[in-house]
Amino acid sequence: MTAQMTTPQKRKLSRAEKRKRKKTAVPYSKRVRGKDYFWVYLFLSPFLILYLGFTVWPLIATVIYSFFEWDGIKPLEDFIGLGNFFTIAQDPLFWLAFRNTLMFAVINTMIKIPLSLLAAIFLTRKWLWGKRFFRTIFFAPLVLPVAMAGLIFSLLLHPANGAINDILVSLHIVSKPIDFLGDERLALLSLIFVSVWQIFGQYMIYWMAALQNVPEDLYEAAELDGANEWKKLIYVTLPVIKPVAVIIIFLAFVNALRVFGLVVTMTGGGPGFQTYVVPYFIYTQALVDFPFRYGYASAAAVLFGVTVLMAVMIQGYFVRRSDENPN
Amino acid sequence: MNTFLRSRYNRYNLIAGGLLLIIGFVWIYPFLWVLFASFKTSSEMFSAGAKLLPETWDFGNFYRAWTKANFNIYFFNTLLYAASATAIELVKSSMCGYVLGRYRFPGRTLILGLITATLFIPIAAIILPQFQLVRSLGLLNTRPGVILALSGGAGALYVLLFTGFFQPLPDELFESARLDGANFVQTFRLMLPLAKPIIATVVIFQFMRTWNEFNIPLVFTLGRPELRNMAVGMYAFRGEYSVDWTGFAAGTTMSIIPVLIVFFIFQGYFVRGLSGAVKQ
Repeated sequence: MTAQMTTPQKRKLSRAEKRKRKKTAVPYSKRVRGKDYFWVYLFLSPFLILYLGFTVWPLIATVIYSFFEWDGIKPLEDFIGLGNFFTIAQDPLFWLAFRNTLMFAVINTMIKIPLSLLAAIFLTRKWLWGKRFFRTIFFAPLVLPVAMAGLIFSLLLHPANGAINDILVSLHIVSKPIDFLGDERLALLSLIFVSVWQIFGQYMIYWMAALQNVPEDLYEAAELDGANEWKKLIYVTLPVIKPVAVIIIFLAFVNALRVFGLVVTMTGGGPGFQTYVVPYFIYTQALVDFPFRYGYASAAAVLFGVTVLMAVMIQGYFVRRSDENPN
Repeated sequence: MNTFLRSRYNRYNLIAGGLLLIIGFVWIYPFLWVLFASFKTSSEMFSAGAKLLPETWDFGNFYRAWTKANFNIYFFNTLLYAASATAIELVKSSMCGYVLGRYRFPGRTLILGLITATLFIPIAAIILPQFQLVRSLGLLNTRPGVILALSGGAGALYVLLFTGFFQPLPDELFESARLDGANFVQTFRLMLPLAKPIIATVVIFQFMRTWNEFNIPLVFTLGRPELRNMAVGMYAFRGEYSVDWTGFAAGTTMSIIPVLIVFFIFQGYFVRGLSGAVKQ
């Protein structure tokens, strides 16, 4: 037991030590001395107290609730062990929501990541005029609350008098208006596009920040070797930003899994259950559909969160391994 | 060929600029639609389809939203929530990030690990425990309660940004401060201004997030409509005023223009702050 416990820690320590040695010798000034201990923990406390209260405790509480049959109002009494998890494993709606959420997040990430990278590359060119103006345009949807974006697009996409159908019909792209949000095959896709539109600016900014760290002389060297813009992108930019890119993609994926506001305001999970997603499932189970099943919803949250965290960790492990032994 | 077109970059700009103008127009179209809808009468809004410019300019929507729908109160609330939550966020994340980046002490690895891990958990059902916490503090349906909830949940990313900034600062810097006789707090106050790009990033991110926050103000002010912010107030437009869509559009316009101006002015800092952070 103890051997198992210490090995991973040991490995981590030695890696950290290696890194430290590479940078500087023993960082004498980084050691805490005397009454500075008091200040260190005092400085930590405002963040840690709020963090424990508003992030860590809610996570723990969710796990605790998941073992109870509970409506969120009465005292927490009916302990049912893993009962909620057994029920949820056989709940077809949960698994449909699970599938929809994954589809949403994967397609959403696959669209927004390359597009926002492309936009960031363009909008960081030195020669481009009006950079501030164009950046503000692509960033603009982000300042719209998600719920408002959903309401606006439910108007714009309306089959009877929505602006988007009006444009498509008058340009003869389609012969009759499309019911974007009422069509079983189109509803989830429409949500994905609205979501990409809304969040795009955030990832554009992330990429722009990453691009700023590509050393200018690398480009100059590549230019001397006769590389064109495309080759510079493939052989200079992408390899340099790769470690940051991995983090950005993970964040993009995990954030896309939280899709909620758009579903509430645009489709309410419909048509049928085609846009039911896990956060919406949790919300309806816990706070909308009577009788409230808060314990059950918590179990759904735990199951979903653990699955995602494991997926991220496994991917992270493979990414790191391929970084450490190239080829 | 004239001199203007002889430059490679001028030619690039004509092509790229034209392309960007078209894409940008499509991209911004929903915004423009809302912006102009806030000047339309409601019958025109529904009959106009894709047309942007209103036939007659109607300023009544803004007046109605501002006074009848209490947007003046919502505006004040939004400003108060966003400003206080941003200030709290800045203080606590800079203090925590400074200590984590500057010192090695027991528990440091644990804290950093915990913060990083929670970044990657899709937190879906977190609001009810938060609700219970605020209620047990007796702050439900109060402005301090909303501010506390707004500044409590976020911040993990900001702490990591500050940690990443302070960690690689040269030891000599701190050593010379110590030799000058600066104590712990004085050293912190000397170092903090160096982190200007990070401060700008945190201010913009957190201000935008709280300015637009919807879920927390909705749940934490259910009993007191006069404590709503604009996002929640706009949503309520649907119910209480039998879907006043043009009023809704006017409200949306009023709430997003200030944030867009903030971004337009500070975007340079923003990108620099983030890029300094991702270097680590």
